[in-house]
Amino acid sequence: MTTRFEDVAVGDEIPGLSKVVTREDVKRYADASGDQNPLHQDDGFARSVGFPGIIAHGMFTMAHLTSCVTAWLGDPGSLKRMRVQFRSVVLVGDTMVAGGRVKALDPSTRRAVLDVWVAVERGGGTEFPIKRSEAEVQLA
Amino acid sequence: MNQDLIGKRYPPVPFPVTAERVRAFAEAIGDSDEHVPPTFATVPEIASLDQIIGDPDLNLDYSRVVHGEQEFEWNRPLALGDELMAECTIASIRARGSLEWLVVETELRDAAGELVVRTIDTLIVRGGDSG
Repeated sequence: MTTRFEDVAVGDEIPGLSKVVTREDVKRYADASGDQNPLHQDDGFARSVGFPGIIAHGMFTMAHLTSCVTAWLGDPGSLKRMRVQFRSVVLVGDTMVAGGRVKALDPSTRRAVLDVWVAVERGGGTEFPIKRSEAEVQLA
Repeated sequence: MNQDLIGKRYPPVPFPVTAERVRAFAEAIGDSDEHVPPTFATVPEIASLDQIIGDPDLNLDYSRVVHGEQEFEWNRPLALGDELMAECTIASIRARGSLEWLVVETELRDAAGELVVRTIDTLIVRGGDSG
């Protein structure tokens, strides 16, 4: 079942999706994607360039955000466009929470544009590894 | 980085969308492999991007790269069995302070030559001058 245009209003929030990031996740993503940047593999290297340890791939975080949006849509093929800005890192042990809110609806195409983000709680505050980002989706 | 390379288009890289690659990717992101995950498009993109990363004329230190922005436009979902060609172009290179930005556009076309996915990838090179 794909989410129907008539069931959506501007301002609606889509259900959030949480995931704890493990070291194994980052290793598996490096192998599956082919991105072998040492920032994602080598703690010593990551520290030498100013991070507390290895960081997750931005694309791993974007994939999680995409899962959140397509779970709400009901059909991964309904995702037409997504543009994200990576604004903060995701560290091993972080809990990523992906979310989104309907920003605009176009009745002529039955498409919606969503504000989308990924948040992590760290050091008593909330950081946004992905923010000021958007997705365009085709509703049924 | 060498700004003379702005506009350089690299030879298309063939990329078959195989069950093995899709399964490995879906497992890595915790998705179902009943479909090709939308961001699987990054895998052929990276296969093509390797030409830029390794281009001796560009002078890019990939170990200093972080991902700044990413955009995908899907004309249709990727499908198992797609025989893609991934063709990347350097859209822009700019510098400010100790940071440099490299923007790469990649087109993924199917065997019929139809554009399936277009990607725009913004890479940020940290402190590229000091090292």
